[in-house]
Amino acid sequence: MNTTIPAEEQIIEQKPIFKVTQFQMNKAAKKKSVWKGLKQIISSEKSLPWPAEAVLYSSINAPPSFKPPEKFSDLSGLPAPYTDPQTRLRYANKEEYATIIDLPMDITAGYLALRGATSIVG
Amino acid sequence: MEVFHFKDAKIVPDIVHTYSGDIRANSVPLIYDNGSYVARVGWATSKEPLLMFKNLIAKPRKERSKKDNVEPAQAPQLQVGNDILNIEAVRFQLKTQFDRNIVTHFEAQEHLFDYAFTHLGIDSENRVNHPIVLTEAFLNPNTSRQLMTELLFECYDVPSITYGVDTLFAYHYCQSNPKSDALILSLGYQTCHIVPMLDNKVVFENIRRINTGGWNVVTFLHRILQLKYPAHATAITLSRAEELLHTICEVAEDYREELKKWFKTEYYENNIRKIQLPFSSISTNSALTLEQQKERKRELARRLTEINARKREERLAEDQEKLRQLLEIQEIIDFGAEKQEIENLLAEVQMKNLQELQKTVTNLNMRIERTRQKIIAASSAEDTEEPPVKQTKLSKMVFESDTAMHSFIDNVKKMRQEILTKKMLRKQRKQDIFKRRTAAGQERMRIISQLARKEKGNDDFGLRDEDWDIYKTISKDGGDSDSEAENEKLMEFEEILRNHEPEEFDSSANPGETHQLHVGIERFRAAELIFKPYMAGSSEAGLSEVIGYVLTLFSPDEQLRLAKNVIITGGLANLKGLKERILKDLISIRPFQSEVSVSVMKDCSLSPWYGMKQFARSEEYKKYIVTKKMYEEYGGEYFKTHLASNPYFVSPKETMVDVDT
Repeated sequence: MNTTIPAEEQIIEQKPIFKVTQFQMNKAAKKKSVWKGLKQIISSEKSLPWPAEAVLYSSINAPPSFKPPEKFSDLSGLPAPYTDPQTRLRYANKEEYATIIDLPMDITAGYLALRGATSIVG
Repeated sequence: MEVFHFKDAKIVPDIVHTYSGDIRANSVPLIYDNGSYVARVGWATSKEPLLMFKNLIAKPRKERSKKDNVEPAQAPQLQVGNDILNIEAVRFQLKTQFDRNIVTHFEAQEHLFDYAFTHLGIDSENRVNHPIVLTEAFLNPNTSRQLMTELLFECYDVPSITYGVDTLFAYHYCQSNPKSDALILSLGYQTCHIVPMLDNKVVFENIRRINTGGWNVVTFLHRILQLKYPAHATAITLSRAEELLHTICEVAEDYREELKKWFKTEYYENNIRKIQLPFSSISTNSALTLEQQKERKRELARRLTEINARKREERLAEDQEKLRQLLEIQEIIDFGAEKQEIENLLAEVQMKNLQELQKTVTNLNMRIERTRQKIIAASSAEDTEEPPVKQTKLSKMVFESDTAMHSFIDNVKKMRQEILTKKMLRKQRKQDIFKRRTAAGQERMRIISQLARKEKGNDDFGLRDEDWDIYKTISKDGGDSDSEAENEKLMEFEEILRNHEPEEFDSSANPGETHQLHVGIERFRAAELIFKPYMAGSSEAGLSEVIGYVLTLFSPDEQLRLAKNVIITGGLANLKGLKERILKDLISIRPFQSEVSVSVMKDCSLSPWYGMKQFARSEEYKKYIVTKKMYEEYGGEYFKTHLASNPYFVSPKETMVDVDT
C-alpha cells in the first residue's frame, strides 16, 4: 500500500496545469478501468430499440464478396492452379513446389495464417 | 540496377510552441484532426497544423519484482506521440486509443490530449479555454462520443465542442468549388469508406465501410517479406514495410495482366526492386583470398626453417667445443702422462678408458661433418622457390574448348547441389523426427511402440538380419548421416568451382548482397489487398466490388450523377496507379459510354485539417458549437449536425427493451 501512494502523488505533480485536477474518468471504479472494446460497443448499441431511420456503425459494414476468391500462390503471388495436400499451400509451378517441400513448419504455418486459412475445416 | 536503401526516417520530438497572447485572449478555436494513424493539431489562425504525431503511446510495463526498489524518478517514462523516438524498440508496448477507427480507450486519449495541449504551450490554469473542432469516424457510436465529450468538458473544461467527419470537412471546405454530387472514397489507416453524396447531403444509409485499410496493407507486406526472408525477419520492421509501401509499391491497373507479365524473366529483371538491409560486414577467415592464405603458409614455413637452422648451428658449436676438449685430453695422454692423471682426466669427461674416448672422438667428427652438410643444403634450398602447391587431379585438367569446360563445370555444380540437398533433407528429417506433429516423427513413434509391444510365443525378431535395420530408421540420424566421403567430395567440388569460376562461387565478394531483399510481385500484391481483402482472410468484398454495390443502391439516374464525380482521399490515395485502377474498374461496371470521372483530392492527408480550419473561420461555425451548458442539459452524446457532421440519432432508452420482451 505504501508504495502506491507516492506513485499517485507523482502523477498529480506531473499533471499539466490546464487540467481540472479533481476530475477522474470512471470515478466509480477505483481499480484500473477496463475500457469497452469496439465489439462490445457495437453489440450494446445494436441491442437498443432504434427507430427505423437510424443508421448505426454496424449497419454500414461492407457486404461479403460475391465473387469467388481467386487463388494465388502463397509464395510468389502468381496465379496458383495447384495446392500442396501436405502443407495446404498453393503454388504456381514446380519450382515453387520444390521450395515448398523444403520449407520448415513455422514458415508454412505463417503463410497459412497470413491467408487466414488456419482452420482445420477449410 | 539501383539498390534501394532505407531512410529509416527518425522521429523529431515536438517543440513546445509559444502560447501567444492573441491566441489566449481571443480563445481561438483549436483544430484537432484525430485520425487513427496521425493526429494533426493547430489553431484556427495558424497556416499549417503545428503538431503532427502518431496516435500512439508507449506504456512501459512495471516490473513486479523491482517495484519496491525502483525510485519513481528512475522508473521508465510514459512516451506519447512524437516522444517515441524509436518506434521499433517499443513496438510491443504501443497502445492507441483507437479500436479500428473508433476511439474506445479514453485513458490513452487523455494522455494524447495532454501531450497535444502541452506542446501547444497552453498554460491557463485548470482549463483549456479554446473551443475545439474535433473529428470522429463515420457513424461514431454514441457511447464513444459521450465519453469523448465527457473527457473534454470535465477534464479540460473546454468552452465548446464541434464534431465532424474528417472526410466531409475535407470535401466541403478544402476544395475550391465542391460539386453537390459525389462518390467519395476515403482510404484510411484502419478502414475504407465509400460515401455517396447527392445534393450536398450524404446518403448515410448507403455508406459502406471496408474494414481493411493502410494498416492491413502494411502488415500484409511486412509479413510476406518476413516469410520470404526468414533470416532477416527481425531486420524487416513494420516501419520499414511502411516506407516500402510509400516508395516502391503500386496499384496494378489490371492485376491479372500484371501477374502474367511477371512470368517473363525479362520483365522480372527490369521491374524487380532490390532493397538493401543494413548489415555489418564481418571479415572472417573465409573472407581471406587464396593468395593471402598461400602467403600465410609461406610465412609459417620460413619461420620453421629459420628455427631449424638456428638449432643446427647451436648443435654444431656444442659438438665442436666437446671435440676440442676431448682432443686436448687425447694430446695429454699421447704425450705420456701418468696413469693416475689419465684416470682423473677421463673421469672429468665421464669416460672409462682410452678406447671409449677414441670412439667418441670419431663419432663427434662424423656428426659435425653431417651437420655442416645439412646447413649448406638448407641455405641453398632457401633461395629456390618452394615446390608448387599440390593441385588436385581435376583442377589441373585442360579442356579442349570452352563448351567442354562449361559442361564439365555444370556437371560439377549439379553434383555439388545434389550433395547439398541431400544434406539438407537429412537435416530436415532429423529436425522433423523430434517434432511431434510431423509425419516423420509419428512414423518413428509408431515403429518404437510396435517394437516395444511384446507378443508372447511368436517373437521371431532378429531371425533375419534385415530385422535389425529397423533400429537404423528410428535412430537420431534417421538412417544415414553425413558421411566423411561425401564431405570430401563436396570439398573437392568446391575447390574445382573456386578454381574455374571464382567470382561466381565466392559469395563473400559482396557481403551486402546476402542482405538484400528482392521485391517483385509484392510491390503490387500489397496494395491489391484493398481490392481483394480475401488475400488476408477477410470475407468482405473489395473496394471495387463495394463501389459497384453502393451504386446499385441508387436509381440509374442517381448512379450517373455519382459516377461523374468520384473522388479519392485519405492516406492511401496517393498510391501510384490507384486512380487508373479505380477508373478502369468503374468503367467495367458502368453502362456502355456512360460518363465516369475519377480524381484524387489534393493534400489527401492534410485536407481534413485545412477543411476544419476553414469551417471554424466561417460565419456559420458559431451555430454548431455544443457548449458545456448544452452538454449538461442534453447529455454527452448530443451534438449539432451540420454539412460535415454525422447524423444525430438520440440513443433510445433501454427500458423500452424490457417492455418488448
